[in-house]
Amino acid sequence: MLAANPVGKWLAATGMESDIVISTRVRLARNLVDVPFIVKASASDQARVVDTVRWALQDSGYLKRGKFIDNEQLTEEQGQFLLERHLVSPDFIEAKTKRGLYVSRDETISLMVNEEDHLRFHALVSGFDFPSAFDVVSKLDERLESQVGYAFSSKFGFLTACPTNVGTGMRASVLVHLPGLVLTKEIEKVLRGAVHIDLVVRGLYGEGTETKGNFFQISNQKTLGRSESEILETVTDSTRQIVDYEHKAREYLIKNLRVEIEDKVFRSFALLKSARILSSDEAINLLATVRLGVSLGIINQVNLSRVSKLLILVLPENLQAMLGERLKLPERDERRATFVRESLVR
Amino acid sequence: MKKCDLCGKNEAVMKVRQVDKDGNVTELNICAECAHKRGFSEVEKINMSVAEVLAEMKKKVAEEDRYLVCPGCGMSFAEFKRLGRLGCAECYTSFGPRLESLIRRIQGAVQHIGKTTKVGRKKAQVRMNVQRLNEELKNAIQAEDYEKAAKLRDQLKQAGKHAGR
Ligand SMILES: [Zn+2]
Ligand SMILES: [Zn+2]
Repeated sequence: MLAANPVGKWLAATGMESDIVISTRVRLARNLVDVPFIVKASASDQARVVDTVRWALQDSGYLKRGKFIDNEQLTEEQGQFLLERHLVSPDFIEAKTKRGLYVSRDETISLMVNEEDHLRFHALVSGFDFPSAFDVVSKLDERLESQVGYAFSSKFGFLTACPTNVGTGMRASVLVHLPGLVLTKEIEKVLRGAVHIDLVVRGLYGEGTETKGNFFQISNQKTLGRSESEILETVTDSTRQIVDYEHKAREYLIKNLRVEIEDKVFRSFALLKSARILSSDEAINLLATVRLGVSLGIINQVNLSRVSKLLILVLPENLQAMLGERLKLPERDERRATFVRESLVR
Repeated sequence: MKKCDLCGKNEAVMKVRQVDKDGNVTELNICAECAHKRGFSEVEKINMSVAEVLAEMKKKVAEEDRYLVCPGCGMSFAEFKRLGRLGCAECYTSFGPRLESLIRRIQGAVQHIGKTTKVGRKKAQVRMNVQRLNEELKNAIQAEDYEKAAKLRDQLKQAGKHAGR
């Protein structure tokens, strides 16, 4: 089991452009050589994959720097908790396979066993930092490859269960906060522009641009016929462009709508500091606005890191894990309000 | 007939969106040749998202897809189309050109560029083998089949030499 506190290192709000780019992630999909893919793998095949991977992690020293969680420990609550912390995918918590999960102590590395592929692992780091994320994930990749062996063809590259991941098996993404573009109504235009260069943009909470808190995930769509460095370059270039637009939008807001923005930010901050009942949706939206306020220097009583961490800790399973008790609905919202108030007023 | 906005010579066959530094979106009509130079090799590829290609695939299961079966895992091409997931590594060769054309539509390419494996592949196979032998040995000892156990121990010794540890 993982403790709610401390939260992952990726929430430290350090690294380049961390006022806009919350985190950078590089994920790889791999399958073991000579074992059928998930849909054709028997329960014992799946168990063998879990054992092999656990053993490989132990042998390469990763296990002592993290935790391995097996299927039995992956309860529904635990799964939801891990999902909220960006350590697993929605598919993973619903999978009917014999699963396994490795998470490094600082939560930089997560490795899912028997999700859609035998192995799905990522490195997640704070700020805009593809070099670090790629470095961490590549090291693990090479260690695992030498231990377990991957399904690979010289034509199609790393073979994956779904042809959408074949080739590099790599998904490079950033989580960005774009309130400036949303407020200036430029978001649609900017994101639509990103699509023609092979990128996918998703709202962090829910689909489309009507997202909670204006958080967006940008990632590469294609994985074959481009090298890892080409993919990283594409996502990096587009991210840089989007970050640039967001900076400009924020400058515009401060120059032309200063009072309106200050009003919005201070109201949100005041609500968080005085509310007695707070749903997680409301908390996310208010915290996101406060985050913008901190970035713009409107608020300086809290820092970006505190706000980023709160954005995770207010989520239902993380809140309950942190408080150490199961809470039903009206009470949970009350306890959330108390927790947020105490975190901000001190 | 529209001329290509980039070269001004050939017939435009597709539209792409471009965003300039100020965030202005311009729609360009470009020809197949320019598209190819910029990495788009087919029209349908950029007009259809991956999700759309997969959804269309699910709908178009042909009779003959049921008879194309992967000997590695027993999955038919029809089953793959329904599930959207392949059954094993061998499916990639078993399903041949039919899979390849789908991959081309999704990925816009059919040749991997980038990191390769091989290093450690052999070592890994030996290690998997050692693990399997160990399991068999444990079972043999449990079943009190000492003759088999002795044989497995010999095999393990051999395999251990190759694994180099
Ligand atoms: Zn042209
Ligand atoms: Zn197969």
